Amino acid sequence: MNRKWRSTIAVLLALTLLVAFVPGCASDDTEEPTTEEPVTEEPKTDIKAAMVTDVGGLGDKSFNDLSYEGLQRAEQELGVEIEVLESREITDYESNIDQLATAGYNPIFAVGFLMTDTVAKVAPMYPDTNFGGVDEFFDPVPSNVVGLNFKEQEGSYLAGVVAGLATLDSFDSKLNSDNTIGFVGGMDIPLIQKFEAGFIAGAKSVNPDVKVISLYAGNFTDIAKGKELGYSLIEQKADVIYAAAGAVGLGTIEACKDKGALFIGVDADQYLTVPDSGDVMLTSMMKRVDNAVYETIKAMVDGSFPGGQIQVFGLAEGGVDLAPYHDFETKVPQAIKDAVESARTDIISGAVTVPEAP
Amino acid sequence: MSETRETLPAQKAWMSVAQKVGIPLASVVLAIIVGSVIMWTSGYDPVAAFAALFKGSFGGPKQIGDTLLRSTPLILTGLALAYGFRANLFNIGAEGQLFMGGLAVAWLGVAVTGLPWIIMVPMLLLASMLAGAAWAFVPAILKARVGAHEVITTMMFSYIARYIVSWLVVGPLKAPGQIPQTVALPTGAQLPRIQTLFGESTLDALPFLNLGRTHLGIVVALVAALFVWFILKYTTLGYENRAVGFNPWASETGGISVQWTTVKALCISGAFAGLAGAVEVMGVHYRIFDQFSSGFGFTGIAVALLAKNHPLGVIPAAILFGGLTAGAGTMQLEAGVPQKIILIIQALVIFFVAAEEIFKWFIKRRQKEALSHAG
Repeated sequence: MNRKWRSTIAVLLALTLLVAFVPGCASDDTEEPTTEEPVTEEPKTDIKAAMVTDVGGLGDKSFNDLSYEGLQRAEQELGVEIEVLESREITDYESNIDQLATAGYNPIFAVGFLMTDTVAKVAPMYPDTNFGGVDEFFDPVPSNVVGLNFKEQEGSYLAGVVAGLATLDSFDSKLNSDNTIGFVGGMDIPLIQKFEAGFIAGAKSVNPDVKVISLYAGNFTDIAKGKELGYSLIEQKADVIYAAAGAVGLGTIEACKDKGALFIGVDADQYLTVPDSGDVMLTSMMKRVDNAVYETIKAMVDGSFPGGQIQVFGLAEGGVDLAPYHDFETKVPQAIKDAVESARTDIISGAVTVPEAP
Repeated sequence: MSETRETLPAQKAWMSVAQKVGIPLASVVLAIIVGSVIMWTSGYDPVAAFAALFKGSFGGPKQIGDTLLRSTPLILTGLALAYGFRANLFNIGAEGQLFMGGLAVAWLGVAVTGLPWIIMVPMLLLASMLAGAAWAFVPAILKARVGAHEVITTMMFSYIARYIVSWLVVGPLKAPGQIPQTVALPTGAQLPRIQTLFGESTLDALPFLNLGRTHLGIVVALVAALFVWFILKYTTLGYENRAVGFNPWASETGGISVQWTTVKALCISGAFAGLAGAVEVMGVHYRIFDQFSSGFGFTGIAVALLAKNHPLGVIPAAILFGGLTAGAGTMQLEAGVPQKIILIIQALVIFFVAAEEIFKWFIKRRQKEALSHAG
């Protein structure tokens, strides 16, 4: 191997690298905050709101992106200044929060339960700054912190109503005659059990004989495992599958497309975020993190930051909801839509209380 | 190696140092230049970005502390990789050994009670080294006995380690509560932050000791680097390690057991990776959970490459990588440059060092394999 040849390769590789990276950065641009645009006509406030993403970062099509949407809405509608710091490592959490607090941002949102300890530790060091912990539970809650939690079980209950009735129906060729539906969970932890419990309760409320098979992947990242679990559920005759499992659910969607079953998405409206999923995506259980973040900023603008509390966003508060049926809008029978509406009314009125554990 | 020109020994030594330091320095400079061009073409101001990056990583004691905090595990994984490379072993699975080291500490630190700090902490550090070494042992034996490539075996073992931890933190070792993680270590099993070791008055008098989150692990890492340097330079163990890495056949002929040296080398490498897991658990998180390591085992490869496998060179190399991550937040906040740019700069540093090193390493290895087939 002569020298000249080697250096040619090196130059070529370097060029490839450049070409590969430059458009990457350019497109990254669009995801970044464009704080330069002056907000002129909006009511001015001197509040500077910021958020720290967890290691998923912006572009996760989930909590981080949703929280950022909440911030952006606050920028447009309330005229607050916004900033976002992405975390690449767990070690970044504390220094990112620290930096934002030092730079005078208030309130600061920390996204994801992995930041719970960090928020609990940093908040007392900045008593004049307010913090919002998305999906974080504190006991006790520091006086300048609000924990933003969600009644995932309530949204999942509605998903269960849809699944429980759909499996009895035949509005789509993927629905079989068996009275079985499936659930795929990420880690078997209380947070995810809330999804499972709500889903089962909702399905049984409209279809007491329905068989619900629950499988857990053990993590939130293994897409192949999600596909495997999907296959396994479909083999056991499940024809509607609900996944609360992060990226694992993407594999389950693949399985549904392969073997013909309907899927119910989670967190975001996955019809919009997962490409080519339209022919299996019946609906999604949305966690409206954006609403929670926006409402918290709004409360702060109005001078009533709910510090020292755990705020729980359920159906009534607009914290969880079902996404539109999209491609299934015309197929889904009115009876199912009506059942969802009456379940929603019952939950909001308190006539139905949804269990948190299966 | 067709060096025919006579040079004085002192001059030769000086040249070798210049060469060793020069190439890494040149790659860092090149990376900064190319990184600047990338930032500039993407519409960011590279001068402002690097100024903010420097401010965020070395701008004051707290920032330096943050840099050291992030350098600590990298020094140790860098050492692990460098020690392996010196024996011509690529321990790509250091991440797995790091997980096992962290796991050992997170478990023992809670399970063992009643020991004073001065005994507890060294015991935990030692346990993490044993755990890391044990995790490298099977790949080491496979390499020595049947020649199974360590890149494959250590990597596979790394997956096993990660999944074991994943399972334990939701299962048997899960702390009460919502979050999948182990119970926090008691104070008596932690590596305290440096600034907590001094009183308020000392800190006021010597403000540079306000090192923020830096913990005693940095001392552990620095001692480890000196220790590895000493082993490699002055002991039979280190000599055999280098000899086998340099030329296994000559070493075998010279009476060194290549198999045994390979086993020792990979296990020692694993021990330092395990220690990296321990300092993260004992100094930063006080517990283990699924994502407690940010790929330190893999960044260690880059650190070792940049250090040209010199145990003392690992220290500045790790500080460079630590500084890049520490300053990334400030760069994002003050210059509006996305953190991902830092990944690009890191990749470029690795690229420019590795472009030379990786070629050399493979050529050397292929030559040796060719030799072994011929002989």
